[in-house]
Amino acid sequence: MTRLFFATDIHGSDICWKKFLNAARFYDVTTLVLGGDMTGKALVPIYQLPDGRHQAILLQQEYILDDEAAVIDMERKVTSRGYYPFRVTSGQIQSFRDDPSLVDTFFHQQMHASLERWLAIADEKLAGSGVRCFVSPGNDDPFEIDALLSSSPHINFAEGQAIDIGEGFTLISSGWANVTPWRTYRELPDDRLYDYLKAMIPSELSMEKTIFNFHCPPYASNLDDVPEIDENLNVLNAGHSLVPVGSTAVRRLIEEYQPLVSLHGHIHEGKGTTRIGKTLSINAGSLYEQGVLQGALIDLDPHPKRGLFTPKSHIRSYTLTTG
Amino acid sequence: MSNEAATKNAGDAALFLRKATGLVRSWSVFDAFIYAFFSINLVTLGLYSISQMYFFDGGMLNGLVIFGVLILAEVVVYAALIAVMPRAGGDYVWQSRILGGGIGFVLAVTGWWFILWLWTPLYGDMLRKMIVVPILALLGQRDSALWVNSDTTAFFVASLITLAFVTVIIIVGMKRYATFQKWSFWIGNAGLLMVIGLLFSGDHAAFKAAFESNSTALFGTAAGLYDATVAAGEAAGAVNPLMGGDFKSISLLLPWIAFFLLYPNWGATLYGEVKGADDFKRNFNGMAAAVVVTVGLLILLFFAIDHSITWKFYMQANGAYWYTAWGNTKDASPFPIWPYPALLAAFMTTNPIVQLLVIVAMSMWFFGWAGTMFLSSTRVIFAAAFDRLLPEAAAQVDEKTRTPVWALVLMVVPGIIVAYLYCYNLWSFASLTLAATLVIGITFFGTAIAATILPYTKKDLYEASPIAGYKVLGMPLITVCGAITTLFLGFLLYQWLLDPEAKYGIGYSINDAGVKNTTSLYFMGVLYGVAVLIYVGMRMYRKSKGVNLDVLYSEIPAE
Repeated sequence: MTRLFFATDIHGSDICWKKFLNAARFYDVTTLVLGGDMTGKALVPIYQLPDGRHQAILLQQEYILDDEAAVIDMERKVTSRGYYPFRVTSGQIQSFRDDPSLVDTFFHQQMHASLERWLAIADEKLAGSGVRCFVSPGNDDPFEIDALLSSSPHINFAEGQAIDIGEGFTLISSGWANVTPWRTYRELPDDRLYDYLKAMIPSELSMEKTIFNFHCPPYASNLDDVPEIDENLNVLNAGHSLVPVGSTAVRRLIEEYQPLVSLHGHIHEGKGTTRIGKTLSINAGSLYEQGVLQGALIDLDPHPKRGLFTPKSHIRSYTLTTG
Repeated sequence: MSNEAATKNAGDAALFLRKATGLVRSWSVFDAFIYAFFSINLVTLGLYSISQMYFFDGGMLNGLVIFGVLILAEVVVYAALIAVMPRAGGDYVWQSRILGGGIGFVLAVTGWWFILWLWTPLYGDMLRKMIVVPILALLGQRDSALWVNSDTTAFFVASLITLAFVTVIIIVGMKRYATFQKWSFWIGNAGLLMVIGLLFSGDHAAFKAAFESNSTALFGTAAGLYDATVAAGEAAGAVNPLMGGDFKSISLLLPWIAFFLLYPNWGATLYGEVKGADDFKRNFNGMAAAVVVTVGLLILLFFAIDHSITWKFYMQANGAYWYTAWGNTKDASPFPIWPYPALLAAFMTTNPIVQLLVIVAMSMWFFGWAGTMFLSSTRVIFAAAFDRLLPEAAAQVDEKTRTPVWALVLMVVPGIIVAYLYCYNLWSFASLTLAATLVIGITFFGTAIAATILPYTKKDLYEASPIAGYKVLGMPLITVCGAITTLFLGFLLYQWLLDPEAKYGIGYSINDAGVKNTTSLYFMGVLYGVAVLIYVGMRMYRKSKGVNLDVLYSEIPAE
């Protein structure tokens, strides 16, 4: 039996990355799959004050940090929410203000450094464990992380590939999504996304043992509901009116191919499961900023038997976890 | 650069964001206010419950203001929990993560799902009392109006219509209904202002004459209706004053006021990423404003009632009506229908179009609110199904209509059964009205305890949250407000369940003169029993299938 743990959208959270790696032992799984959007969304400056103390503003709350221990503790708090802390002088901040492209460059440097650190942790935890770990970037992740992920000895870079994960099960992964209002790195209109994703699916593959690991959930699946926003990104009706924003391309592919399971993220509040035809579709959701790793634990049976009241299925069981 | 200048500099650039999915701006506090405002609907829930409080000695305005102040602690608790654990899904997940999965499941499914079955006939009763009966009467359909008013089958049909309306809203979706709610807000409030204006437009003598003449025209009542109502009200024990009373008598109002003012959190904004303390303040402001405006509008309305109807007569009319409706006397109430303040206000004009307009406008308080009856239930059913504590089908959405068919069945079918029992008063089910609030109160009680201990049991989570800096006398604000809410809800639960003053009739009164309502206790016992059975049974079933539900909320070590 293959026990697979899927998580997604950890967005720079150190805690969630460590939990993801530790999930292998915690849940006794053989296969880890990370669905994308690994990188953080924000930089939090920690200012050095003229008197030697430091100051940070986290979540609109001001903290005065009296000593090095307090600064380190603040850096831990910042990274636990998926943000990148950086120590800075007022001169550096002024240069960021004067030239916004410097912020972008610095952001990418931070992502890179953070990811290198993560991969070192992965090396430490996964080496000799026998656990296979598959990672594909998400639409929020810049392209330069691909090379870094590919270079890791213990991480399998999964983007755009159909990979045999053992016992005849195949994992097909992509972090590309349909177009969002934020114009992120890996977006395509649904018609082109359909072609892009379809090209990854080998023609002779048995769908009974295939898993789609597509970052974006299928359209109108209840896994893709978000609060409605206007053209200025303001949330309408105080978040009470929800609209589906998933991909019609992903939905079409699931309907046409009917894989065993489809794994998704992207929509953090879309945690749930649904059936599209015979396919079990899962969005693990994300609470990364709380240091909570939401995930899906799936037992895959290569030789299932038909039950008295249940049809034969390679999914022996599944559970959505809040770890 | 000085420290002060550097601090300002930091405030100007506290955070650098890059382009990334989900980084929305903000939502309107006014929008949030509307949904919270409808959740503590001062017309449907408010007037319905206040009319039943005719026998209390404490001043109504005193009770309202005190409740309004105390419930702000609950508002802080919910706004704070949302800030610490956004997108988590509300009470179910908060309690599951802090108190444990079993407690979270049992308290959430009873308070946000099962008990909504009992609300079905209550909504139905409000529909007929506030909309159907007045409109039929104003259209000259006296017999139909009186039939709907008094016939149990009509009551049951009104409950079914309510269920049908709620079902349609679930199928249509919240996107469209949210817009409808905004229109309802404006039209309903315009109606309320008309009511207040009409009540201030004449004196008591004018009302008395209008009451007699309109009632005779609409319902065929005999002359001397006013005096007969006064006598019937006095016989019923109608004593409630508008103001005054000692501390004890005022505090005894609170468990009944809870029927409408307990749920400003119902309209809280649960979605979206929390960016900082502003999100906590926005949620707090939206809900707190709903409480303040609701209490303020009720005070204005009650002064308007006191101006022309007089509070004393209003309470006597309520006493006369409910004393009969509850079967305490075989005498018919002189004024045959529920004394709806909007209809009594409409009597102050002779223009039938204006009369009808007032009632139609006021009906939006019902239609803009009732559609969300099962909204929370849907969320809880889905969350429980995703946790494998309900069958997978419970969360399945029909591909064509996007309707959660089985979730609807789980809400509507028991709702029909409970409505039947209530409308036909089988096993004294009609005595359960306040139990509809009690069970929700227990759920909130659990959440208040979870909030109180959160900073100590989830230290890292709390300290990295936007509310970590909010302290009262050195203690976390969420702990202080959680404790106040726990104590407040504890007081309400004590009064409801042990009923020492024989006022509420839904518990096992320790007062010899009080009601020992076994129907209520059995009913609530069954709800909690079923919840426990589902939880234990599903865990055992899943275990037999190789699914270990112990892992649901077990935290993975980070190191």
